[in-house]
Amino acid sequence: MRRKIIRVGSSRGILLPREVTKAMHWEFGTEIDLDVNTDRKEVTLKTIKVSLPDDYNLEHLRGIEEHLNLHADVLGGIDD
Amino acid sequence: MTDNQKKELKLLCFVNWMVARKFDDDFGVRDLDSLKSVVNLPGNGSLTCFLGERLSNRKDLYSQLGWFVYYMISGEPFISKNRSVVLLMLIWALNYYRLEFDVEALTDFIIMLDPLKQGNSDISLWLSNNCR
Repeated sequence: MRRKIIRVGSSRGILLPREVTKAMHWEFGTEIDLDVNTDRKEVTLKTIKVSLPDDYNLEHLRGIEEHLNLHADVLGGIDD
Repeated sequence: MTDNQKKELKLLCFVNWMVARKFDDDFGVRDLDSLKSVVNLPGNGSLTCFLGERLSNRKDLYSQLGWFVYYMISGEPFISKNRSVVLLMLIWALNYYRLEFDVEALTDFIIMLDPLKQGNSDISLWLSNNCR
């Protein structure tokens, strides 16, 4: 896909097409990884992946996340 | 710190991140010593009830949960969402141990809890009376 470098204030930028941001679940303010390979003249944009330590039990964490989603209505307001 | 305590500490940090991300709030540790107090039970014990280990003694479970709730609320180890982390972990643990409880009553208890008036044994007692 070809994009043009545009001016953003005093910087240069490119606009990401909506279908790309939608497919990557990138919202306004989402932080992403930007890798620059000057030898290959390539720039890669990547979603930041949270890597879990080896001793995490994924099933255990998913169970906690399920309860977080299930009880979001009560959990969301109790620290306000 | 023991390996279990470190594991527990990492789990709580992860849960804080998960909750803060869900509700678009800040995450992270505000006071590491307070967080260490949460996972450091008397006799260098740890909160094994959150590690997927099923405690055979119900009394130990209430005692661990009482400790956890008290030190999380009094010490506020995280930048935000301390009580939400407490409630979420309680809901998870009580479901894990297949105990019956009323989420609304538990939520009210956590919201109203004043660590200057209620200690960890009071909290354990409330849990043992209301989650069976």
